[in-house]
Amino acid sequence: MADNRPTIFVVDDDASVRDAISNLLESVGLRALVFGSTEEFWKSARPDAPGCLVLDVRLPGVNGLEFQEVLAKNAVSIPIIFITAHGDVPMTSRAMKAGAIEFLMKPFQKEELLAAVHNGLDRDRIRRHERAEVSVLQSRVEQLTAREREVMNLVVTGLINKEIGAQLGLSEVTVKIHRSRVMQKMEAASLAELVRMSEKLKPRVRI
Amino acid sequence: MASAWFGGTGSGFFAVLISTALIDYFFVPPFHSFSISTSAEAYFIAFVVCALVASWVSSGKKKGEEALKEALDLLEVRVSERTAELLKTQAELTRLSQVLSMGELTASIAHEINQPLTAVVTHGHACIEWLSASPPNLEKTRQTVERMIEDGTRAGAVLSRIRALFKKESPAKDWLDTNELIHELTTFLRDEAIRRRILIRTDLVPSLPKVKADRVQLQQVVLNLMMNGMDATAETTDRPRELLISVRGKESELVVRVEDSGVGLDPETAAKIFDPFFTTKPHGIGMGLSISRSIIEAHEGRLWASPRPSGGAIFQFTLPIQSRDSDG
Repeated sequence: MADNRPTIFVVDDDASVRDAISNLLESVGLRALVFGSTEEFWKSARPDAPGCLVLDVRLPGVNGLEFQEVLAKNAVSIPIIFITAHGDVPMTSRAMKAGAIEFLMKPFQKEELLAAVHNGLDRDRIRRHERAEVSVLQSRVEQLTAREREVMNLVVTGLINKEIGAQLGLSEVTVKIHRSRVMQKMEAASLAELVRMSEKLKPRVRI
Repeated sequence: MASAWFGGTGSGFFAVLISTALIDYFFVPPFHSFSISTSAEAYFIAFVVCALVASWVSSGKKKGEEALKEALDLLEVRVSERTAELLKTQAELTRLSQVLSMGELTASIAHEINQPLTAVVTHGHACIEWLSASPPNLEKTRQTVERMIEDGTRAGAVLSRIRALFKKESPAKDWLDTNELIHELTTFLRDEAIRRRILIRTDLVPSLPKVKADRVQLQQVVLNLMMNGMDATAETTDRPRELLISVRGKESELVVRVEDSGVGLDPETAAKIFDPFFTTKPHGIGMGLSISRSIIEAHEGRLWASPRPSGGAIFQFTLPIQSRDSDG
């Protein structure tokens, strides 16, 4: 049960800073896990719960900005809040362009940190929800036969059964049967819903 | 000839004239007369020609000598002008390098103090939250305040460490703990090292005897060696960038070593590295090692450099271990 609680990961090489951040988050009822380096965080087993990362820029080994790239390359899309004592404009804009939630200057105010953390957690919840939805749809698509997938891809482009039949060399009746199987297996109540599902699946289906 | 040498062409010819007359009078027959007998005529003419030629050559040489002297004087003036220019550039470079390193130091100090300050502020916010809970969480509040005290104390310690680093203490030598000194400097350079991706390691032996030394001067030497080592590793990409500082007690002396995994020392560089104004750095002024060596020598120690077998360089110095009894 505890593992569903949102978690804030705090990475700072200064023990007193990371403990203070953890203490503040704890005082408002949030769970925080602290790490002394990006490597330590990377190796840790992370709970499958909404989360965000409070990341110091200047760190021994792989620094915060580089770690942001490492995460992106590995398709780990946890929202990041940078904290730094040396925030200069190029550094900030680089981090923000790469999708950081916020760039906070140490020492920061409680409201700044908490607003950024809540923003990060919300984003992660939405992302997780979407990802879960996509994986459900994905598993439904996997139940479709090759022919049904072909029919589905054409149905969502707005073609009518007759046109689909002509393209695939099938009779209109056969197309109609495939089409109803697609609706059934995808659990789509209407054509509009099927189109929406296909949109969500798009990056994966078209591969 | 001699008169031509010293007096120039005019006096040279005058001397030739006098000597010709005297020769004629005393040595050319008939003796004691200025008239010349025909038999001695050829001899007399030969003498006059020889004297004239000798005088001419001699005065020519004198002229050349003068020209050379003038040229030398001019050269000397030019050299001193150039030296003055160089000294001016040198002074500018020194000032520039001081400004640069002051900038770096300031950034380092700012970071060192900002960290505990951040912790204090953040704990403060947490404290309010713990107190605002219903019922107030007094245990958490107490723990938080304790940590705030620790962090505040730490910030104060950073400040006094920096003050000690900059304040020129009395020149009298104190009993110093080299381990402590190295610890201070590594803490001081930690942030800079992270920025440059250099790992600073120390290999210290506990409870080494204290040495009698000028704290500020010794800090200067070790800081200089560490900064040099860090600069030397700037180009290192094929192996970890690291700096190892170690201290060992050896018979009657302490040996402090600063090793880096940098570019290393070729024999030619190693021979000149302690010379004043010798530098391998684009913006260096070449005084660091020269000053360091004189500081160490003033402490009756030695400072030398050698290549590091695994690549890089080792700079080490010794400091004599004196017994406390011998100290008055």
